[in-house]
Order: sequence, then C-alpha cells, then structure tokens
Amino acid sequence: MAKEEAWKPAKTDKSERLFQLTCVLLYSERGLTKRELFYAVDSYRADLAGSSEDDFALNKKFERDKSELREMGIQLSNPDPRSDPDEMRYTIASETFAWPDGIEFDAQQLQLLNLAAQVWAQASLSSEANRGLVRLRGLGIEPAASDLIGFAPRLRTHEPSFIPLSQAIDECIEVSFDYRKADGETTRRHVNPWMLRSIDGQWLLICWDKDQKAVRNFLLKRIVSKVVYRVEQINEKDSAQVTFAAPSETEIEAAIADLESHTASQVATLRVKRDSLAWFHFHMDDQTSATAEVTFSYMDIDLLAEELSEYALDFKVVSPPELAKVIRSRFEAVASAHA
Amino acid sequence: MPKIKGFNGEDRYNFLLALVGYLGHRDQVSLDELSNHFDLEIEYIVKALRSLNDATAQVGGFEEWPFYIDIDLLEDGIVSLTTADIIDDVPRLSTRQAAAISAGLGYLSSIPEFAGNADIQSLIEKISAGSGRGGAEVISIAPGSIEAGASTLREAILKKRVISCEYINRKQEKTKREIEPLRIDLTGGVWYLRGYCPTNQGVRNFLIEHMRGIEILDREISDVAGNVGEIEDATYVAEITDTAVIVEVTPEAYRLITEFQTVSEPKDIGSGTIRAEIMVGHLPNLGRLIAKYGGSARVISPPEARDIVRNYALKALGESTDFDEREIE
Repeated sequence: MAKEEAWKPAKTDKSERLFQLTCVLLYSERGLTKRELFYAVDSYRADLAGSSEDDFALNKKFERDKSELREMGIQLSNPDPRSDPDEMRYTIASETFAWPDGIEFDAQQLQLLNLAAQVWAQASLSSEANRGLVRLRGLGIEPAASDLIGFAPRLRTHEPSFIPLSQAIDECIEVSFDYRKADGETTRRHVNPWMLRSIDGQWLLICWDKDQKAVRNFLLKRIVSKVVYRVEQINEKDSAQVTFAAPSETEIEAAIADLESHTASQVATLRVKRDSLAWFHFHMDDQTSATAEVTFSYMDIDLLAEELSEYALDFKVVSPPELAKVIRSRFEAVASAHA
Repeated sequence: MPKIKGFNGEDRYNFLLALVGYLGHRDQVSLDELSNHFDLEIEYIVKALRSLNDATAQVGGFEEWPFYIDIDLLEDGIVSLTTADIIDDVPRLSTRQAAAISAGLGYLSSIPEFAGNADIQSLIEKISAGSGRGGAEVISIAPGSIEAGASTLREAILKKRVISCEYINRKQEKTKREIEPLRIDLTGGVWYLRGYCPTNQGVRNFLIEHMRGIEILDREISDVAGNVGEIEDATYVAEITDTAVIVEVTPEAYRLITEFQTVSEPKDIGSGTIRAEIMVGHLPNLGRLIAKYGGSARVISPPEARDIVRNYALKALGESTDFDEREIE
C-alpha cells in the first residue's frame, strides 16, 4: 500500500467515526442515549434507515464500535445500569484519561520501552505494543540516544491459539480446546486460563483445569482445535461469555514455582561426540576427551527428544532410559511418514 | 522512518488521541519535532492535524468544533492547538497494550544482559498501573541463558569493529571467518548474529552457538556494512542452489513453516494439517530439520528430499541402538 493511501480522511473511515464518537461522549456531561448518539455521529446518522424500525445493521455497528473502544481502553460507563437498554446514557469513564500519580518516564526508560515494544514478531501484538508506545510518547518524553542498538530480542508465537488465549486471560473467560498429548491421545479440555508463559521458546498455558480440578500446564503447540470461549444463555434472546475470578498473584507464583521444581527434578545425561553440533550446542569446549558427558534438567521428555533429534547422530543417552525410547519412537514415526 | 504503511483504523484513532494529549501540554511545537517525537512522516502528521480541525461533535443540536489548530502557523511548520475543550490528556493504556509492552519488558528482563536492570522492574509496575488492569500478568517469560560470546559481539557492534571467529557452517564445516557484526537477534531462545559477510558480500545470519574464538579486530566495519540500514527480521537469504520442498505439518510442527521462507501462502488442507512449499538452502540438512518434529512434519516432494529425511531417521535409529565409541576417533 502506498503512503498516500494509508490515510483516508473520509467520514466513513473507522478512525474518524470512533474519534467523533469519543468527542461526542466527552462533550456530554449527563451521557447520551443510543438514539442521541445515532444522531450525533455523522456516520451513524448517514446509516439511519428512516423506514426500518430496528436499524439492525446500525445497532450492530454501534455494538462493534463500543467493544473496539473498550478494547482500546476507552471505558464507556453508564451511570444507571438498571435502565432500559434504549434509555441507557453512555459516558466515558472519568478515569480513562487520568493517569495515576507518579507515572513518569525518563528518557532512558522510554528507550527500554521502545525496545520492549519491538519484541513482538507477531503482528497483532506488535500493533498493540506500538499503540501503547504512541500513548506513552504522547505523555511527552523524548527517548535518549539509543545505546541499545545492535540488539533485537524477538518473541515468536507460532500457535494460532496464542491470541484467543491471551484475550481470554485478559478478560477472564472460560475456554475449551482439544489437546493432543505427545502419545497422540486427544481430549477436550475445559479450563480457566491464567497465564501464557514462554520457556526456552516454548509457549505454555498455565490454567485451572475444570475437569481435573487442579492447576495444569498445556503446551500451545499441542492445542489442535480452535479455542472456544464458553458461552451461557442468559435468557431466550441473549447469551454471554462465562467468566471466572482472576487468579491471585500467589496462585500464579505457586503455579510457576511448581513448574520450576518439576523441571529441576527431571534430569538427563548424554554422552556427546567431540566437535559435533551437539558438542557446540552444549558448550562442551573445556573437555579434551573424544566424548564427554553433559547433564541438565528438562521440563518435558518429548520436548527434549524433539530438541535432541537435531543432534541424533552426535550423542548417546546415558539416562533416563525413557529418553532413548522416546527419541527412538519419534524417529520410527519419521521413517514411516517418509517410507 | 516510520512504518505507517501498516497503520489501520485503530492505529489512526489511537494516534489522534495521543496527539491531542501531547499538544494540549504545549504552546507550540514544530512539525519536525512532532515528526521526530512520534517517529512519523510530516505528511502523515499534517493530515492528522487537518482531521482534528475537521472533527465536529453534535451537542444538544449544535455543532461544536472541539479542536482548533492554527492554520497560518501550520503553514510555517509550527503546530499550535488553541482549543481543546474536551481532551486534556492521553488516554491510559488499554489492557492489551499494557500486556504486550509488559511482556516485552518481561522478555528483556529474562535476558541475562538486562537481568539486573532496576528500570525494567519499575517500568513493568508503572505500565500495569498505567492501564488500570492490575493483578497478574497475562504473558510472562522464564529467564533464559545467555550465549557465550554474545557480549563480546555486542561490544564489537557498539564499537563498529570487525570480528574474526571460527564458525561451523550449515554443511558442518569448520571455517575461519571475518564478519562485520550488525545486530544480535534472540529468537525463541536461540541467539543469532546478523552481520555483513565480506566473502558473500551481503548480510548473513550466524548461529552464535556455532562461533568460537571470537576476537574483536582493530579495524572498523566497511562503509558497505555501515550503510546496511534496517535489517529485516526474516533471516532467509535466497541462493540459486535453494530447493523448493513441499511439506505437510500438523499443529505440533507449525513452527517449521514460520521458520522458513514459504514460496506461496500455506494452505489448510483439513483436520489442522497445513501444506506449504518452503525454500531449503542445504538439502542434506533437511533430515535434521524435519526429523525434529517426529512425524508431525512430512515431506511430500521432491523425492530426493523425502529420501534424505528417511535416511536420516534410519541412520539415527541404527546409531542410537549401537553407538560405538571407537567410531569417534
């Protein structure tokens, strides 16, 4: 797309519409009803179908705009939640534009924020981070001349479940998905998603498993279906997403600590050939013999087998014996898939 | 400068709000300053300013103009927002914006290079307070390990010096190299050096774990290397010897596709299986790359690529049963 086309200041442009909606709402002290908003915002007014009674399309558009504003942190509040939906008066919550005290950034910090915002290789997260950065820049500080050049940490998310899960965590929505264990067994899981955690480049979902009634960790790459948000019928017409109480920091910390102690308790030892790729991978330079042993801990035996498959010709498993078995069965699967 | 090519409706809306908040705290700002500050082209900023002037709001049957940018001053390159009735600050961060930035900061703090950085922790707290979400983070990153050599390379990059090292290339040959280092990439726990290679006369990608004996030479990088500019994140460099390989992957191996340059848009062929055509530089390496996924990735064609993968698997099966230490010498 050419630069010129990037900006289309037409009234139908979504940014213009949302901006006008925001301005109209900010002007109004006592709030505006939906009907009033439909007359106050040019693009809505143009859509008002004089004849049709329900303005179905326009209502939908308004609902979408409301949720877009909410997603962008512009909180709509309505002072009297008991009122009839058509009589509800919308305003923008006063805290939307009020930063807490002490939120100031110096130039050095803004530079770190810049680097942090560039971390995402995934487009939608990168846009979220960059929009946040635009707001922080709007607060007014100039970043320092960068001494962080020459360094580009990137987080990659290969899994389609990443975005729906992060949104479900953000909004505390119960979800379900199909999970295929390393042995190929697939089961439907129902969980309260708590956190996404990256460990050595692998993404894990830490969650409360509603069937097991326990904290569980799921590897995102083994989620083999769409992530479905749980929906409940409220009455004949309407349904709503089912939410749960956000986990406490203590619960999260305990889940992470569990995972770490689980990893620490699983140890593998390999005998590695000198000057092989595995030798380099494990940094065994200070060894002088033709082979040497390396010992380390691991989170998941199948993940470890996957990592080691690249170096299969360079080492022999000393322990645990299951590791050699898992590696073997993975290679059998490869051989038969390419027979 | 900026990548406004990707600016969509949300980005524009977001920028308008930030712009009003910024201008509200200043009498006058030059267009150049604004452009530098937001890292956006002047042309784009002028259009945004014009649409602020065009913005109207129907209030109680009257039309209000909430913002006024002085047009005469704007022609002289000066921006002054004289009326701003309704917005006097930038909106707080949305929870998604805060989550994406916090996770980025969390990632930085997980890198040994930044581990002791007190700024990062205080920033994470401020960002969380700045969004009003509070509570636990949505995304977190476990601390990783640093690649030996990365700090020497970074020093060389900051000093703009050429380095020499021993390098195991993708054909597993040990070579002595001189590289003009430009950037260190850390992706999925793996450290890479992006550097100008005088031999190949182009930017190449080096696995830092395959580098040994890194030395900073007493020589500045060449003008060609110095003028490389922004380096793309994608590491693929096309060579005429590359082979197009068709693969099918299930979710467990989706990663394979994103790690290679694909020839056309990958196709979903049902039950979660994706078919893609990837470009492979050194075909003999394909065995290692595919076998890693233990049957979740399958080579469809060409036949010689399938053979390479099968043979690698068979060799691994043979070797893993009777590993003979005498063979090593």
